[in-house]
Amino acid sequence: MSEPEEELELQALQRQLDDAFETTRPRTGFEDELWLRMQSSRPAPSRLRDAFAGFFQVIREVPAVPAGAVAVLLVVLIGVGTVALSGLGRHGGGANSSTAGGANLSAPDAGQLYAGNFGRVPTPMFNNGAKSSTSAQPTAVQGASGYSGPVQLTWTGKFDLTISTAPVFRYREPSTNESDQFASALGAVLRTRPAGFLGSYQASDYTLKVRGTVQSPPSSPAYFIFSSLSMPPVEAAGATPQDLADIFLAQHSLQPQWSYTVAVDSSSDPVKVRYQRQFQAPGYGAAYLVDVNGERYGLEVDLSANRPVLASGLLPVSIDGADYKIVSSDDAIHAALAFSSPAQPAAATPIPSVQLNQAELVYVLVPAGNHSFYEPAFMFSGKLQVNGQTYVKRILVPAIDPSQRTP
Amino acid sequence: MLADRPPFDDLYREYLGRIYAYVRAQVGGSADAEDITAQVFMNAYQAYARFEARNTTPAAWLFRIARNATLDHFRAQGRRDRLRRTIERQPVAEEDPAHKAEERIQYRALMAYVAGLPERQRDAISLRHSGLSFDEVGGLLGCSEDAAKMLYHRALKALREVAQREGV
Repeated sequence: MSEPEEELELQALQRQLDDAFETTRPRTGFEDELWLRMQSSRPAPSRLRDAFAGFFQVIREVPAVPAGAVAVLLVVLIGVGTVALSGLGRHGGGANSSTAGGANLSAPDAGQLYAGNFGRVPTPMFNNGAKSSTSAQPTAVQGASGYSGPVQLTWTGKFDLTISTAPVFRYREPSTNESDQFASALGAVLRTRPAGFLGSYQASDYTLKVRGTVQSPPSSPAYFIFSSLSMPPVEAAGATPQDLADIFLAQHSLQPQWSYTVAVDSSSDPVKVRYQRQFQAPGYGAAYLVDVNGERYGLEVDLSANRPVLASGLLPVSIDGADYKIVSSDDAIHAALAFSSPAQPAAATPIPSVQLNQAELVYVLVPAGNHSFYEPAFMFSGKLQVNGQTYVKRILVPAIDPSQRTP
Repeated sequence: MLADRPPFDDLYREYLGRIYAYVRAQVGGSADAEDITAQVFMNAYQAYARFEARNTTPAAWLFRIARNATLDHFRAQGRRDRLRRTIERQPVAEEDPAHKAEERIQYRALMAYVAGLPERQRDAISLRHSGLSFDEVGGLLGCSEDAAKMLYHRALKALREVAQREGV
């Protein structure tokens, strides 16, 4: 064999070796399992210290948190601290007593047990630490406040679910490097790394802040663009607010790379253009991403006199999916109705009744440390009248079968 | 945290796969590779507070731990095998032909051939293709950068001969 031929063969072998080393990776789930073991191996005091640090970070991020919520958070913190000390570590953050909140779904059928590619996923923790969530939002925002009192629930709708599985989506917690790359692509340069953010960046006419996942209330990794006074208005004759927002996003290459619908709130200044994210659930269709109050979210552009004043959206992250068994519609309805308050015949004020008549599959964020999840949930809703004011009552219950979740 | 020392989370994300591939190329089997990789990161996690970034790169530091863990594994395995053969008076088992056929899947077979090279050649190939510079490879193997290059090229030729012999 001639020397050039030999050299070519060796080069080919080097390329094969590069590919072989690049593609040789541990099995799915090994990374999470090992991380869990490493966290469990840490001395208990440092895990407890982290739990407290996380708690105080939450308080800093939510300065107006009411005292009652702080008390609830403290209870949750004690649970989290206990979980951390018991060795469940960062992936156990979403777990708690399986009976909390009363969402006791059907017992797992041993013959049908299987866990998706991500193994057992954490159970969603909606507001107040329950495994299900109720919220009441006024249908008319002006002059109304949220209703948080007890209700009697009945189901009068129709909910025939034809799917038995739904995808769970997982993303890796973004790093400061990824945040920097995102900012760099926008043309913004790193200025500082303030507490609670991956970075604060400066561009010619705006400040960009990038934040990772927030544990409580669960919030997705996000970016925030705060316009400076030099940010010019978007000029487009006859354009609607959505057109203006589209143009602004296109100018900054920030158009959503996911499915969405657009909702425009022109009731006040600034006008809010909201791009509501959807996930595709095969056999069902599009399911909205909602927060713990059942509000859809994704990306929002606030416009004042055609000038973008704030844009906040989901930080692009790489997401992978895996199918998981979900509960039946009957079990979901049963779980939702479990949030009825017990009858109180002697109460001075009668407990209002709510006829839940709508149900939909939605997705909720479940933070879980190194990797977090977008998990399917069922959102039930119905209207109620209190003191002449109409509210919408929403109830969220986890959709993933209990056998597929951490208890 | 020192500015030049990245958070351990970042290190873990960046190097877990590469360390696993390196270990897999050393020991051949996935179960052993997982055990050793786990040990590597458990050790690194405990020792990270003492890591001095000015003395070495995080990659070289992690691969040194991985190399030591692999050598420990071989030493322990050698002791176990010798003991087992003495007790059972059995020769070293022949490799299962069906298993061997399965291993012929291109990259898996290639990794197996790397695992079959002499120790230093195996190390040179594995470390180099795990992304380390020749300078770092030399540092880990206790030789100069030039010597690491020569060792690597000899290993590459040896690997090519094995691959040709096995028809890959």
